[in-house]
Amino acid sequence: MIRVLFFGKISDLIGQREITVPHEAGLTLHRLRDTVFSDLMAAQALKPSDIHMSVNQTKAREDIALNDIDEVAFFSVFSGG
Amino acid sequence: MIVRLLPEVLDSTHAFREFSDGAADGAIVTFTGKVRPADKTGEAVDHLYLDWYPGMTEASMEAIAHSACARFDVARVMVLHRCGQVHAGEDIVFVAAAAAHRRAAFEAADYMMDRLKSEAAFWKREQGAGVERWIEPTAADQADRKRWEDE
Repeated sequence: MIRVLFFGKISDLIGQREITVPHEAGLTLHRLRDTVFSDLMAAQALKPSDIHMSVNQTKAREDIALNDIDEVAFFSVFSGG
Repeated sequence: MIVRLLPEVLDSTHAFREFSDGAADGAIVTFTGKVRPADKTGEAVDHLYLDWYPGMTEASMEAIAHSACARFDVARVMVLHRCGQVHAGEDIVFVAAAAAHRRAAFEAADYMMDRLKSEAAFWKREQGAGVERWIEPTAADQADRKRWEDE
């Protein structure tokens, strides 16, 4: 299972802090993003460019392949301190 | 180098004592940031909520502190930052830099604050009577950060 975390405005919009998603062969970060946010993107509440992403706490390219034990986070732009 | 993420209280007076006690540095510069009681339009702000990603947020603060130590001729730096709910008037950030001479200490503190304001892994929500909004870095914050790229 992939652990998926949400932070900032993204967390408010999706109404979740954390979910788990079953891993499947060939799953990439952008496919996971498009699946998780399909309703919000369809409603034009979010664009892909609004959604920042990390894998195992490191900002990641969207074409990265995911592993079963990965921790993925989706978040809005850092506001800074 | 001391870097701490604080979910409870930030006491900048205590932090200064901790940083400066027994030190043999010629110069110590500190900055304390507080939560303003009003937003840019004058609406009252009760508190900020700073969302954070345990691990990633601390790493972003440590990267900024490390970078300041590498870039300026400083002996030590300290970066303390609140997370969670921080009420108007409370300390939200404290940075300190110690050096043999003042210029490096001033510059390191300024540099750390400019980077913290735009790059630290926080998500900040402003809340007051009838006001609740997520805050993103302003154009001024970005310009402040960019100053250090042009040198």
